[in-house]
Amino acid sequence: MAKHKTPLLDQLESGPWPSFVSDLKHQAEVRAKNEEGIEFQIPQDCVEDLLGVLELSYKHGRTHWKHGGIVGVFGYGGGVIGRYCDQPALFPGVEHFHTMRVSQPAGKYYTTEYLRNIMKLWDLRGSGVTNMHGSTGDIILLGTTTPQLEEIFYELTHNLNQDLGGSGSNLRTPADCLGSSRCEYACYDSQALCHFLTNEYQDELHRPAFPYKFKFKFDACPNGCVASIARSDMSFIGTWKDDIQIDQDAVNKYVENDSAYPSNAGAHKNRDWGPFDIQKEVINLCPTGCMSFENKQLTIDNANCTRCMHCINTMPRALKPGKEKGCSILCGAKAPILDGAQMGSLLVPFVEVNPDNDYQAITEVIENIWDWWMEEGNNRERLGELIMRQGFQRLLEVTGIKAAPQHVQYPRTNPYIFWKEEEVPGGWERDVEEYRKHHLR
Amino acid sequence: MSELLSNKELANKTVVDFLKKKEKTKTKFYFNDLCKLFPDDKPRQIKKIINVMVTDEILEYWSSGSTTMYGLKGAGKQAAAEGEK
Amino acid sequence: MAFISSGYNPDKPMEDRITDIGPRKYDEFYPSVIAKNKGKWSHHEILEAGVIVHVAESGDEVYTVRVGGCRLMTTTHLEEICQIADKHCDGHVRFTTRNNVEFMVDSKDKVEPLKNDLASRIFSGGSQKFPIGGTGAGITNIVHTQGWIHCHTPATDASGTVKATMDEVFEDFQSMRLPAKLRISMACCLNMCGAVHCSDIAILGYHRKPPMLDHEYLDKICEIPLAIKACPTAAIRPAKTKLADGTEVKTVAVKNERCMFCGNCYTMCPSMPLADTEGDGIVLMAGGKVSNRISHPKFSKVVVAFIPNDMPRWPSMTDAIKKMINAYSNGANKYERLGDWAERIGWEKFFEVCELDFSHHLIDDFRQQAYMSWRQSTQFKF
Ligand code: HEM
Ligand code: HEM
Ligand code: HEM
Ligand code: HEM
Ligand code: SF4
Ligand code: SF4
Ligand code: SF4
Ligand code: SF4
Repeated sequence: MAKHKTPLLDQLESGPWPSFVSDLKHQAEVRAKNEEGIEFQIPQDCVEDLLGVLELSYKHGRTHWKHGGIVGVFGYGGGVIGRYCDQPALFPGVEHFHTMRVSQPAGKYYTTEYLRNIMKLWDLRGSGVTNMHGSTGDIILLGTTTPQLEEIFYELTHNLNQDLGGSGSNLRTPADCLGSSRCEYACYDSQALCHFLTNEYQDELHRPAFPYKFKFKFDACPNGCVASIARSDMSFIGTWKDDIQIDQDAVNKYVENDSAYPSNAGAHKNRDWGPFDIQKEVINLCPTGCMSFENKQLTIDNANCTRCMHCINTMPRALKPGKEKGCSILCGAKAPILDGAQMGSLLVPFVEVNPDNDYQAITEVIENIWDWWMEEGNNRERLGELIMRQGFQRLLEVTGIKAAPQHVQYPRTNPYIFWKEEEVPGGWERDVEEYRKHHLR
Repeated sequence: MSELLSNKELANKTVVDFLKKKEKTKTKFYFNDLCKLFPDDKPRQIKKIINVMVTDEILEYWSSGSTTMYGLKGAGKQAAAEGEK
Repeated sequence: MAFISSGYNPDKPMEDRITDIGPRKYDEFYPSVIAKNKGKWSHHEILEAGVIVHVAESGDEVYTVRVGGCRLMTTTHLEEICQIADKHCDGHVRFTTRNNVEFMVDSKDKVEPLKNDLASRIFSGGSQKFPIGGTGAGITNIVHTQGWIHCHTPATDASGTVKATMDEVFEDFQSMRLPAKLRISMACCLNMCGAVHCSDIAILGYHRKPPMLDHEYLDKICEIPLAIKACPTAAIRPAKTKLADGTEVKTVAVKNERCMFCGNCYTMCPSMPLADTEGDGIVLMAGGKVSNRISHPKFSKVVVAFIPNDMPRWPSMTDAIKKMINAYSNGANKYERLGDWAERIGWEKFFEVCELDFSHHLIDDFRQQAYMSWRQSTQFKF
């Protein structure tokens, strides 16, 4: 029998989409029965109370959680979010109900053995409720009490070889697309780079000393499956420098509407858009107009291609990214708080992604940026805002990157250039007397 | 590294004195505020020292979930209000 | 319940402590066909909504069946995922950025049994546990934030609005009939943990009332300078006030017209709550994208300034969303994302064909970028 009545939440059990309410109710029952004889370290009925407090929010249209300043386990400045219920007498099982962020493996592949170990630990020492995954990328363990935090951390590190993720003013747990593990578009190994940087910068991840949060995200091609351009202070997007690889025979299979060559890899299958028309669907939609198809021959003027991926997405068996691959680095994406949303702005048009020298070309850019931001950034100023405040030129200066037309959509539309003294021949110190010899007062 | 920062005792005292002086009105500070106590050092060096003070249980972190602050261990009104102390 | 020690000694926290080990290495978890063919994939095809085959240069194939998941997921549900993965997939499973779950098998004959197994699993309340879909030119799962289940500043619920929306657009989760993919995101307050500013459609919780002030307790519980500093718009200043019993207390005053309803003050100071039944609700945004395909990535635009919270199913919100999707589906060219379509026909037409009202709230007046969004041209449609 459910501890609390939940008439409003019950209405979210119908409909085809998986119901989190059904799942929570089921979990509450499993905990109540406890067939496995688990010696629960936090209240056995916490999931009942979680449903209860959520129902109350549905009734009031208001949250019933308070924030707490708890940050992490001893010596760590992140990885835990403190949560307290504002109706502890009604819902004692969730009076203290903190979140732990567990650093997810790159690519989010799992074995069931690993998942079960996490689940076992979490059933014993927490609510058994998770987020798979939080929007930063971590595995989120939702709901435990303060005394359990160290115990969970101890078990994670000692038995599962597993660390916490980040929260607060530090490097947040980096996240990546599945890349070359299962995607033919990948221009670099996003998992390898993501994993390397996560480990390389563990200190920055656990011990906050940044002005605010900092995120890395890795998309192995311009399709951007993890939305790095919108969601990360530094976004690493795979790209290539040379020519798109063309298999002309395969192009013609698409043109002939061969059934083994469905356009767009079958992504439009459930509506009749008519037969595939290469002129209309590829050549004319190429944003740079750099393609043509004549006499069964597809030609790409690669010097004018901006690598938007459209033609490759549309005819994946015929076209492949070039062979000289690497990534572009874009900086400063942030949500609209406070000066409006920003997307990442292109800083490094192309850099090799080279594991053999520990991605030196990339870590150099990162560390130059951090030195600048830590020194000059105001409290709670994201990198994107610092760039706005001090100028893109300053970003180029601290990273030692030469300005290029690739850095801009178009050149500035005002002539108010802040010339530096050293840029003007003769400097700014002048002799007014000398001037007056030729210009009367 | 400046002399001030490389002398652990002196560095600790500088930080603790600063926090004690402010304690009446405010007990939590951004990392940047602490950096101002060591004008001759790079933030990344200061970070190392400050973090040792956390493991030495002189300082503790406080987090809003998105931002982290530093304060003397146990200081402040919220610690008590959260019923954890 | 007896306390069970993990081995941790609270008196000596540093003893035997392991730190800074990071996540587990990704390749420990690769299914064997992935490990073998990594970096050597030739092409892929979406066989039907939710089922993808990737073909390697070696000729190996991996069939992926993608199912929708709630990101709020219990160990009971995870155990069921593990059982399916053990039965069909050699004990391997993968999660996507958008909270979907992917089961992979290495030959075609294993696909049907896997699909049948997944489709047969139903929650006691009637919903599907593992609906197959979320690929191609359709609507995949919604990325979202915590909401009322766990956060202190949400203006709406996350899991509930997502469930209500996915139920309404479910057909498009399981089919690929739209002109291009359509991404929906949800964030429950303007902090936008979930980052919804670049989605085809974004659901955003929004408060409309400045914080209340619990004068009697404020100075006892909160550090006033911290609350003041937390405010991004500098709307808070120190103040004194007389309580009903005549005692004078230190407190704060809020310049209400400067408040952007972000809740940062409440994070720092529990005596400044801002949640409100009438004040809180939902903003809808539309037309953003993050992919570089054809057009540049772009921000979403606010298309509905406010919808009240009507729990538990938010019908006015799902109505507005459905109107946009239908108009888009009928009007856009193949490959055109929602934002590209709106720009082609003009936003003035967008409001017309989506049957959405336009009000002054939708004209930007926030800081310098506002001007960029006004019309500096005589070209427009009536
Ligand atoms: C002043 C601003 C902010 C405050 C006070 C804040 C606070 C919080 C809190 C308390 C949580 C934990 C929610 C929970 O698990 O119970 C959270 C989660 C999160 N925040 Fe923020 N946040 C702020 C701004 C941001 C911004 C700007 C971003 C992104 C750029 C962001 C990204 C996230 C993410 C990704 C999560 C994880 C949430 C999830 O997985 O659903 N936050 N934030
Ligand atoms: C630093 C800023 C500017 C400088 C130094 C500047 C200087 C000048 C000069 C020297 C002339 C020619 C005067 C003449 O015929 O004797 C001129 C003409 C003009 N300027 Fe500017 N100007 C500036 C900014 C602007 C701006 C911002 C605008 C408008 C938005 C503007 C609009 C015009 C127009 C319309 C003319 C007349 C052009 C013509 O007769 O063909 N100027 N300006
Ligand atoms: C820093 C800002 C500006 C400077 C330094 C500037 C300078 C000038 C100068 C030197 C002239 C020529 C005057 C002459 O004929 O002797 C001029 C004319 C003019 N300016 Fe500006 N201007 C500025 C901003 C603007 C702006 C913002 C506008 C309009 C939005 C504007 C509109 C005009 C117009 C319409 C003329 C007259 C052009 C004509 O006679 O055909 N100016 N301005
Ligand atoms: C109009 C406002 C905004 C919209 C429409 C928006 C939209 C989005 C979208 C669509 C995503 C990607 C979701 C996905 O597909 O995975 C995203 C991610 C993100 N946004 Fe926003 N966003 C907005 C404002 C903000 C603000 C103000 C912040 C922070 C200050 C922010 C921080 C983030 C972060 C950190 C992520 C990545 C979350 C993660 O790490 O997984 N967003 N946003
Ligand atoms: S971002 Fe590109 S490489 Fe990565 S998974 Fe998406 S399409 Fe593949
Ligand atoms: S990648 Fe884009 S820009 Fe380049 S040829 Fe193809 S469609 Fe044109
Ligand atoms: S979006 Fe806002 S309310 Fe929602 S989880 Fe993030 S901080 Fe909390
Ligand atoms: S809600 Fe945000 S803007 Fe309003 S007073 Fe509080 S901190 Fe300031």
